[in-house]
Amino acid sequence: MHPEVSRIQELLSGQGYIADRAIATSVYLSIALRKPLLIEGAAGVGKTEVAKVMARALGTDLIRLQCYEGLDATTSLYEWNYQRQLLHIRLSEGGERSVAEREAEIFSEAFLLKRPLLNAITQAQAPVLLVDEIDRADAEFEAFLLEVLSDFQVSIPEIGTITATTTPYVVLTSNRTRELGDALRRRCLYLWIDYPSFEKELEIVSRRVPAINGHLAEQIGALMQLIRRLRLEKTPGVAETLDWSAALMALHRDHLDREAVEETLGVLFKHQDDATTVRTQWLEPLLDGLAVLEREGRPWSQELIARAADRLQTRR
Amino acid sequence: MEAADALRALAVVEVTDRPEVYLTLRAVLASGQDAQRVFDEVFWEFWGARQREVDAGAPGEQGTLALDGQRALDRVLLEWHEADEDAGGEGERVPAYSPVEALTRKDFSAFSADELNEITAVVIAIARRVATRLSRRTRAARRGHLVDLRRTMRASLRSGGEILEILRRERRLQKTRIVLLCDVSGSMDLYSRFLIQFVYALQHAVGRVETFVFSTGLSRITGSLAHEDLRAALDEISRRVPDWSGGTKIGRSLRRFLTEYGTVLDPRTVVIIISDGWDTGEVDVLEAAMAELRRRTAKVIWLNPLLASPGYEPICQGMRVALPYVDIFAPAHNLESLKRLERYLTRVS
Repeated sequence: MHPEVSRIQELLSGQGYIADRAIATSVYLSIALRKPLLIEGAAGVGKTEVAKVMARALGTDLIRLQCYEGLDATTSLYEWNYQRQLLHIRLSEGGERSVAEREAEIFSEAFLLKRPLLNAITQAQAPVLLVDEIDRADAEFEAFLLEVLSDFQVSIPEIGTITATTTPYVVLTSNRTRELGDALRRRCLYLWIDYPSFEKELEIVSRRVPAINGHLAEQIGALMQLIRRLRLEKTPGVAETLDWSAALMALHRDHLDREAVEETLGVLFKHQDDATTVRTQWLEPLLDGLAVLEREGRPWSQELIARAADRLQTRR
Repeated sequence: MEAADALRALAVVEVTDRPEVYLTLRAVLASGQDAQRVFDEVFWEFWGARQREVDAGAPGEQGTLALDGQRALDRVLLEWHEADEDAGGEGERVPAYSPVEALTRKDFSAFSADELNEITAVVIAIARRVATRLSRRTRAARRGHLVDLRRTMRASLRSGGEILEILRRERRLQKTRIVLLCDVSGSMDLYSRFLIQFVYALQHAVGRVETFVFSTGLSRITGSLAHEDLRAALDEISRRVPDWSGGTKIGRSLRRFLTEYGTVLDPRTVVIIISDGWDTGEVDVLEAAMAELRRRTAKVIWLNPLLASPGYEPICQGMRVALPYVDIFAPAHNLESLKRLERYLTRVS
């Protein structure tokens, strides 16, 4: 392994982010080649977290652009500070200057409000620019973003062209609610983050919820593997696992049983339908699965859990 | 361009470390989940060694195994789920139908000429409903409800900073393209008159409709429908479409549509499929095609003219694998069901 890759893996783990080799390599390449990193994966697998941790590890700022439908240049790039402009016009009233001169004055950089994209390319130190949930913006914005990301300059009609002082580290995330354009994909390095394996999730839980006992953590991890095999409106991600662990701790549970699970379903499932389906149909099989595993003996592994899950469905 | 990137990337990693080379090239070259799967195959095939010592994140052997298990489980889960639905019956999101009502209302298979106009009106309302919506983007307008500060400021300069007029913006109306895919196979024969009526009304209601018919093959009939006269259009279509009323290969037809006419799709396209879902082709072809269709469009609506027929249950293979990728699944067997769909769309949009 390249020393830099393992260094980045350590840096990330030092920041509490358990990165497998694929993630560490992609982050390293993105930094080394200064190419944007496009991260896709289901909601709640820690895509956004990569950028946050990257910024901390690089000791630089994180500038975040949250995308939504209809996001456009004024909210992502720049906007004029109208209040200030108005005030300025009032204050300079009665002066000798011509309209053209006064216009030039209020449309100068001092009256410019920098939005995330412009902000990101005019920093003294290269920041990490996180373009979050790019799939929620529309195709027009994608094209616009592509332009900014390839030229690293912005032209403002009233001022002229502003060229980047530094090239930011760019991380884009997408939940795949819409297919992204090929041009954008080609510009980026690509990383797919899947739901973690049992082993990885166990590591994450014990790292992020250090007070948890090993037995409970294992049960949580195993049950998450089983739950993610169900067809649900929204499959719970790592964020939900961590919330759930914390919730069970707060309720002083040291192992999972029917009561403990039922009590905390709301932490895990953010859809009423999901909570109901699991409560009425799946609680029994899930607890059965857990019981099967308990009889298997430790340590548990991804394969063991997968086998248990398969057996469970053939038995029904 | 990617080749150059790949070389640059290889220069900064440990090239003697195969897993690292694998991860590096994958990050640079495979720009999507599907592409990564293909890359995976090719890379290990080329390098012979199947020892994929790369840990999680690689959709490798472990991944595929898990995936098969997943599939099998999904199937089982879906069956149970459906069994429950038959009892409780959410009728797939659109207000439920009752079999009793179906018998009392006249089917489209026997509709009268008087009803034609009413059908057309409902179809047009449905089309308007799915084909337009307000964009979040704005444009300058005299009577918008948003204030355009930028232009207001500029205008005020001319009057010495006094704001004499507040200029406005409004939200744009976004036009959606509709793609209509109609099953014209034998099992749909009874309904082909309804179908043509629907297609024809839709085509004339909204400007951007692309219409295709399929059974074992697929043909684009947008052009033929441009005729003003319905009968002439019908005649031309039956001449041009050779396999009118044969068996159905929905999966293969959709796949052909995606490959040949995929460019008509964009993330705002609404796809309407009219079919009973009796697929005689391979199930996984259909599933893959549906998944891709869902991903590349804004909405997939499946209208089923047989849904309310006594004895029909939407559990034929085709329907079952397609359902998870459908946003709205509704009966379309008579005027009442269409009206209900229209009301439903009003509520959700």
